[in-house]
Amino acid sequence: MNARRLIAMTMLAAVVATAAGCGGGGAAPGGGGGGGSTKGGILRVGTTSYIDSLNPFVAIESQSYNAFVMEYPQLVQYGPGEKLEGDWATSWDEASDGLTWTFHLKPGGKWSDGKPLTAADAAWTGNLIVKYQAGPTAALAAALTHVTSMDAPNATTLVIHYDKPVANVLPQLEQFFILPQHVWSKYVGTNGKGLKSFRPEQSLPTVAGGPYSISQYQEKGTTVFKPNPSFYGPKSNAQAVAMTYYTNSTSMIADLQAGNIDFADQVPYNAISSLQGDSSFVLDSVPSSEVTNITFNSNPLKPKNRELLNPQVREALEDATDRDQIVKVIYAGHARPWANMLSLQSGAFWLNPAIKPLPFDLAKANSILDSLGYKKGANGIRVVPATTGKYAQPAHPMVYNMMVPDSLDFNGDRQFQIIADDWKQAGVKLNEQAGGDSSQAYGIETAGKYTKFDLATWDWAEYVDPDAQLSYMTRAQWYSWSDTGYNSPLFNNQYLQQATLINPKQRQALVWKMEAEIAQDRPYIELVDEDTVTANDKGWTNFYPDLNGYCKCYYTSPHRT
Amino acid sequence: MRGMDYVVKRTGFAIVTVFVAITLNFVIFRALPGNAVSGLRCQHCTKQFRESIIRQYGLDKPKWQQYVVYVERLAHGDLGTSTFDNRPVWDDISQPLLNTLPMVVAGTVISIVIGILSGVIAAWRRGTAADSLNLWTALAFYAMPTQWIGLLVVFYVAIPLGLPASGISSNTLGILSTPSEWAVLSDRFSHLFLPALTLGIGLYGEYSLVVRSSMLETLGEDYVLTARAKGLRNWAIVWKHALRNAMLPLVTLIALSLGSIVAGAIVVEDVFSYPGIGLATIDSLNHRDYPVLQGIFLLLTVSVIVANYIADLIYFKLDPRVTS
Amino acid sequence: MSELIQIADAPPPAETGGGRRAGFIREVMFGQKVAIVGNSILLFFVVLAVAAPWIEPYSTTKQVGAVYAAPTAKHLLGLDDGGIDMLSEVIDGARVSMIVGFAAAAVAMLIGGGVGLLSGYFGGKTDVLLMRITDYFLVIPDVPLMIVAAAVFGRSLINIIVIIGVIYWTSTARLIRAQVKSVRERVYVKRARALGAGHWRLLASHITPQVAPLLVANTVLTIATAVFAETYISFLGLGDPSTISWGRLIQNSLTGGAIFHKAWWAIIPPGLCVTIVILAATMVGQAMEDALNPRLRVGHLSVRRFRLRPLQGRLDSE
Repeated sequence: MNARRLIAMTMLAAVVATAAGCGGGGAAPGGGGGGGSTKGGILRVGTTSYIDSLNPFVAIESQSYNAFVMEYPQLVQYGPGEKLEGDWATSWDEASDGLTWTFHLKPGGKWSDGKPLTAADAAWTGNLIVKYQAGPTAALAAALTHVTSMDAPNATTLVIHYDKPVANVLPQLEQFFILPQHVWSKYVGTNGKGLKSFRPEQSLPTVAGGPYSISQYQEKGTTVFKPNPSFYGPKSNAQAVAMTYYTNSTSMIADLQAGNIDFADQVPYNAISSLQGDSSFVLDSVPSSEVTNITFNSNPLKPKNRELLNPQVREALEDATDRDQIVKVIYAGHARPWANMLSLQSGAFWLNPAIKPLPFDLAKANSILDSLGYKKGANGIRVVPATTGKYAQPAHPMVYNMMVPDSLDFNGDRQFQIIADDWKQAGVKLNEQAGGDSSQAYGIETAGKYTKFDLATWDWAEYVDPDAQLSYMTRAQWYSWSDTGYNSPLFNNQYLQQATLINPKQRQALVWKMEAEIAQDRPYIELVDEDTVTANDKGWTNFYPDLNGYCKCYYTSPHRT
Repeated sequence: MRGMDYVVKRTGFAIVTVFVAITLNFVIFRALPGNAVSGLRCQHCTKQFRESIIRQYGLDKPKWQQYVVYVERLAHGDLGTSTFDNRPVWDDISQPLLNTLPMVVAGTVISIVIGILSGVIAAWRRGTAADSLNLWTALAFYAMPTQWIGLLVVFYVAIPLGLPASGISSNTLGILSTPSEWAVLSDRFSHLFLPALTLGIGLYGEYSLVVRSSMLETLGEDYVLTARAKGLRNWAIVWKHALRNAMLPLVTLIALSLGSIVAGAIVVEDVFSYPGIGLATIDSLNHRDYPVLQGIFLLLTVSVIVANYIADLIYFKLDPRVTS
Repeated sequence: MSELIQIADAPPPAETGGGRRAGFIREVMFGQKVAIVGNSILLFFVVLAVAAPWIEPYSTTKQVGAVYAAPTAKHLLGLDDGGIDMLSEVIDGARVSMIVGFAAAAVAMLIGGGVGLLSGYFGGKTDVLLMRITDYFLVIPDVPLMIVAAAVFGRSLINIIVIIGVIYWTSTARLIRAQVKSVRERVYVKRARALGAGHWRLLASHITPQVAPLLVANTVLTIATAVFAETYISFLGLGDPSTISWGRLIQNSLTGGAIFHKAWWAIIPPGLCVTIVILAATMVGQAMEDALNPRLRVGHLSVRRFRLRPLQGRLDSE
């Protein structure tokens, strides 16, 4: 792994030097820097998520975003080690007040139809997104929060103006896809609505400024990425990338074993053991951005089962949860017990090291619950005594419904079973209530209004930068992203404050504090931080399994052995 | 003129049924609070993004207004726009439908061919071991869940023989060079063969039993006996007389089993990762994409209603006494 | 062995007089080889379902060995994708499949029987209205409807039972209606009416007992349909997640990757059980119905033909 990363870094450095030196007029030997790579061949990728739209103003599925990364220039992208690096931009300066950012772009790039790629395209795209952010361009507006305008003083300089200092400008801009003005401008019209009805797949190949344009698009079949010869960066090693969607991972793994695909971007945990014994495949296991949790309804005004709001009860329930068993049974060992609301991918800088998962300790769980006066009844289930006051409740047993979504990438029903078995030994009984992701969001937010549900299991696929994940815990995200109903005035204010702290050290200190507050209040019992397991045929090498949807190198780097 | 009355009555019934279906179609999807957007969960689904969609589709309006708009648009042949991918519903449905049709047709043909052959042989060799064997085989396949047949086909046929068991075409076909039409066609065929076979095996049992029974009926009739006495060859008797009569109930049965063909196709597509209308149903269900679901429903319902209507007319043609 | 589907030389229609019918049923159920075999199979699975908690060798929630471990003397059907004993799961699956089969068939019997009785007995406007409703239910494609209903109303056992029952009552209603129509014209019913018996009394003590055997036969066939439908719902991930059913085990074998683990023991048993139960219910129901009402014999193989209207028109005209 280290060697591979080193090669890639060398490769990148070489290409950046070439591009800067000779203008990158299509002569750069992409990916050749590592030496010994074999060019050519079709890289056949298998996946279980599909490109729902080639239009970035419409797309929802993450696979679509991977396609946009391949098609469109970005100012910056995440490279090896989830470090931000220049993509189209080579360097950038920030004004001391944090309100103006200037990006210097690689010269000489071209769109795949031969038209020049200049900073004017970027400024046009940026201003367009800002102008219609409440409507047609809302999907991409998060990347340009607080941007007022962009301008392009020359072909290789882009200036971005903000109305207040933003702490995470670069992580935000990572999701800013630059579109070809000469293609898209005709769909703007008077109100921008045409932008959403434009369907790039109707005239293939798409016009791309990134390493690939799309020459064939089958939503639930195979999508073909063909190299863009005038790309400004390291070019594709493969002659083409054919990405095939499978509705179930069984078909995908069967095709991998039959030699019909070269790379599976996510091997289901229960398939790992069947591939491990096979010497024709390489398995990679890398930390993913997903953290799983037990979600508590944390709305301070919830009417029923209010004992679950008590942080002590939550702590006892965490004691009663055997994470190691979950890691072993559900993830075949490819996950780690976790307690932080941020994922491992956020990196040591953002992760408060003091937050650690509690060990499985039923005795402690039972003693906490005993000390709270919740005595076990004849059937072994604890009873919460009656309370008085505004939220008076009669005495009731500790029996709760737990919602379990069915579209998880792991076996949620089995995980529920483990948790239910554990908690039962602490005198708490769980019943499973199932539904799809959307039904769950319904139950919690729309229909439930954060008053009807008690518990859920779910997961978050997180960004590297902590801003988004922190925002989900604020009152402002109720009925939108909040799945807990958590509402702490202190936290709400801290969130707004961290978003403007442009000094990374100061922001880090505040973020650590916020993580600790959440760990203390436990709107979630975080369970595990998942690995992504990928498999590739021995005939190919140089993969970056952790950079799916982050880096253009995810497709450009692999080459035949 | 009782005949005409009957036809008019059946036509009227079919039309009214379509309207009932349209209404049911609307009600069942809006029975619960919320809408497609409140459940949307993706990395990029910000509050702004959701609100813009809600406004765009008029989901903030009262339900009865939404119903009026829905019916009005349908009258203009407009199935609406997907709330998930913003494409016209018809565009979202038409491709999966085009993928499914050949598979379903091939599956039906397979089931008819096996059904007729086995039914005829069983009837002709009535009471022999061959008859019993066919009877029990047909019943057994008929009792097997289609998805299970699919799994067995993948496990015992596709993998050992290296036949394609997922998708609709090879992932590398036509990337580096333009393939011949023949290559495209044979590639498509090789991908639809196993799903179609699965569907066919699941359906043939019933056809076989029906062919056998109708054959037995006709084989006992006077004109067949006469033909036999005239010394016509066996196959000629089967073909010219018995089978022709046996075809009539079979055709009606096939028209009526469209609903079950659709049901089979849904699970077969799931097993074989086949991007057809069944997968589209499941997907739009997961996304709560009401307009697309409604579109698929309408399409399936109208197809089944039309198939029933045709079956009614065939009945009538067969036997005008049916009108009572 | 082919008495099941003999058309040309079917037994003569059963004597439709009152007292003999029950005896006839008994004769069918215990006299015909097919029915005996079918009954024994159904009985076996019912016993299995009832006794499941006591005879399951292992827990269905605890891992007892390696993922997809092959069958051994300790685990006769090996282990599944979670290292859980397959034999125990198959036994447990019998519970849900039998509960859904019998309960949904009972729901269908109540609705279909009720509608058929009222429609056939009262005739006139009641009949037209009820039959019109039945016709709509017949025509709307059931499987997509089932899928959406299961998704919209949530994944629970009760919902599945109700949904299946509410969808599959129509053929029962039509069958019972036709039977009631003929029964109510019989001499002794007319006599009872002349003697001043009220509608409900007539329905309860004269009509219902007459159609009950047919209703039972039809319900047995509906069990097959319901078990079959449950596998569809579960396979599409819309089943009750807290219970194990055969449909769910089939789904597990696909999503859990039994295929590439070469674990035939996880694929074959659940599907085989479904097949056997459906076959048994079909055998019993068919034998009963054939004996009671041979005119309908072709029209009621209805597992897959979710919506087939009985081919009465055709066969009546013979």
